[in-house]
Amino acid sequence: MDLNLNAPHSMGTTIVGVTYDGGVVLGADSRTSTGMYVANRASDKITQLTDNVYLCRSGSAADSQVVSDYVRHFLHQQTIQQGQPATTKVAANLIRLLAYGNKNSLQTGMIVGGWDKYEGGKIYGVPLGGTIVEQPFAIGGSGSSYLYGFFDQAWRDGMTKDEAEKLVVKAVSLAIARDGASGGVVRTVIINSEGVTRNFYAGDTLPLWHEELEPQNSLLDILASAPAEPMRI
Amino acid sequence: MAQSAIEVPPKGGFNFDLCVRNDMLTKKGVQLPSYRKTGTTIVGLVYKDGVVLGADTRATEGPIVCDKNCEKIHYMAPNIYCCGAGTAADTEAVTDMVSSQLNLHRYATGRQSRVVTALTLLKTHLFSYQGHVSAALVLGGVDVTGPHLHTIYPHGSTDSLPYATMGSGSLAAMAMFESQYREGMTREEGIHLVSEAIRSGIFNDLGSGSNVDVCVITKDKTEYLRNHMLPNPRTYVSTRGFSFAKGQTEVLSTKIKQLRERVVEVAVEGADAMEE
Amino acid sequence: MSSIGTGYDLSVTTFSPDGRVFQIEYASKAVDNSGTVIGIKCKDGIVLGVEKLIASKMMLPGSNRRIHAVHRNSGMAVAGLAADGRQIVARTKAEAINYEKTYGEAIPVKELAERVASYVHLCTLYWWLRPFGCGVILGGYDRDGPQLYMVEPSGISHRYYGAAIGKGRQAAKTEIEKLNLAGMSCREGIVEVAKIIYSVHDEAKDKAFELEMSWVCDESNRLHQKVPEDLLNQAIMIAKAALEEMDAD
Repeated sequence: MDLNLNAPHSMGTTIVGVTYDGGVVLGADSRTSTGMYVANRASDKITQLTDNVYLCRSGSAADSQVVSDYVRHFLHQQTIQQGQPATTKVAANLIRLLAYGNKNSLQTGMIVGGWDKYEGGKIYGVPLGGTIVEQPFAIGGSGSSYLYGFFDQAWRDGMTKDEAEKLVVKAVSLAIARDGASGGVVRTVIINSEGVTRNFYAGDTLPLWHEELEPQNSLLDILASAPAEPMRI
Repeated sequence: MAQSAIEVPPKGGFNFDLCVRNDMLTKKGVQLPSYRKTGTTIVGLVYKDGVVLGADTRATEGPIVCDKNCEKIHYMAPNIYCCGAGTAADTEAVTDMVSSQLNLHRYATGRQSRVVTALTLLKTHLFSYQGHVSAALVLGGVDVTGPHLHTIYPHGSTDSLPYATMGSGSLAAMAMFESQYREGMTREEGIHLVSEAIRSGIFNDLGSGSNVDVCVITKDKTEYLRNHMLPNPRTYVSTRGFSFAKGQTEVLSTKIKQLRERVVEVAVEGADAMEE
Repeated sequence: MSSIGTGYDLSVTTFSPDGRVFQIEYASKAVDNSGTVIGIKCKDGIVLGVEKLIASKMMLPGSNRRIHAVHRNSGMAVAGLAADGRQIVARTKAEAINYEKTYGEAIPVKELAERVASYVHLCTLYWWLRPFGCGVILGGYDRDGPQLYMVEPSGISHRYYGAAIGKGRQAAKTEIEKLNLAGMSCREGIVEVAKIIYSVHDEAKDKAFELEMSWVCDESNRLHQKVPEDLLNQAIMIAKAALEEMDAD
């Protein structure tokens, strides 16, 4: 086994963003790894940029942190200058400028989500090359490969807030079940005209999918509850 | 960090062309000189009223232990300390540099340093060197906003955690934390768990060894417990160590060389005049 | 003027003992002598109108424009030295483009006005520059609705319901104050602006003029455009009729 602890700190990730009637829901898992080692099992990949705009980060942790730090700084300046909150579109465009201008040295894909009084809830995907795409929903990170079909089937226009959040949690937990680089807990951020709500879904409260077992504190508990007969192989 | 298909000269920042060349040379089998590394176990945790940091004291150079009792918990500010793993020179240099910047910042503001300030200075430096400054750090401290614990990776990414481990012994140490960490531990419990985590690294990781250093930071006091534990004392057959009777080393041959006296004549000016 | 300015009016970097900068005041004089320029904010947009004095009868109608488009949805009318105005227009265009490149959306009119104002102001701070001999009226439409700004040679910028600069500004301002701007559409506003420009023009003293007009409103899809030919001609007709009626009284 090659643990490769010296590998760059990266977020093999599942991130999603979904618009609904009146706002957006962002979701992410919480695993960051260095090589094969889980460096942080409870990380927060949904970063705040302004009061009403959040960013889901994937790829290199260092790169995405730097990008979000810069964009947070620029948005702060813009908010002061304009005397009103920056829009999601402005945030997305600033991210694009950095992501495109440094495309040869950045390894990060991002999803911007936010709410503003002019355009309402908006999701923008900023994938690896540094383009921006406004989308009704966006998925990203290594876990997203397992979700394309799911979203094609499950996403509907005009969902309610609760439906949208349920969809996000379901999607991330599905990806966690199949993607080795995603795991831990599910974090969601809901942004609408009323403000921001953050939710946390612990790993042992997530739905179980095909062939998954109930979470146990210790393997000994399983053995203790099982009938005392020799193990069959 | 990114290795792209097409190499385009960067618009700003540093030039890493020679690093690429060196990587190529090592791949071709050129032996570059080795650095003194701290194959290390460093840990930290947040407890009820502060932060406890811990480190082992082994420094290695390839397979050789080159320092059996080095210091890996570096001073950043009176209320902030930082454990370093990776290349010893890099961790030492980067912490020294940031600590001096923090000091100047304190002179300018007249306020206590904040942990986030140290964190930002460290991460921006490391990011600008794109991982070539190999310093993996556990930064801990208590400031006006409370206790903080962060991990910083060589590429400049950071995490903030209630308990953290780094270095080659991080797996062994993390096992201790994952099984025994609780929220709101006391000072004694905190020091004990940190020491156990470091001991776990010392005994189970080849890169870590020797003694346990601990640093406890609270709101109004910082205690640096150097060599808090000595789990690997040097042992001798006799309690007083070894002593040998004179003449234990056999004399194979003797050769005595006479020192030749060397006379140099120096003309002293003015001396003649005196005589006359 | 000559008695008060002596010694203190040669440089824009010298204050007079009572705290004035004469060069800026002289620059304002250049504006005050030019053809009248007015802008009004109606309920659905902005109308800009210029009394463009014709320097020569040989000049082609429509040449030497005083209203410029600076962005998709904002325009600028210049009073004073037209050549100085072009510098401001060029800078305004650059600022609008630069903002859009950085932030990915159209520049708010407030921000554009602020940037133009600080550019104009910058030229009142250095001995090797001279202040602009022109004032501009900036009209635009952004997500916060239609807005009208006026920037003076001193670098002052204010937001207005209706603004006027140039020779006939006093008379024009009194006329604008009489209008019910909040209840007026731009289509109606065009006629009013034409009437005002015609009424403040002194046919006996002044040279002949050409009426130049533009608008940014819902009817123009929030784009800054020249007022359509038929509407303009109609407005001129009404304005002339109103003038004759007044003379008859």
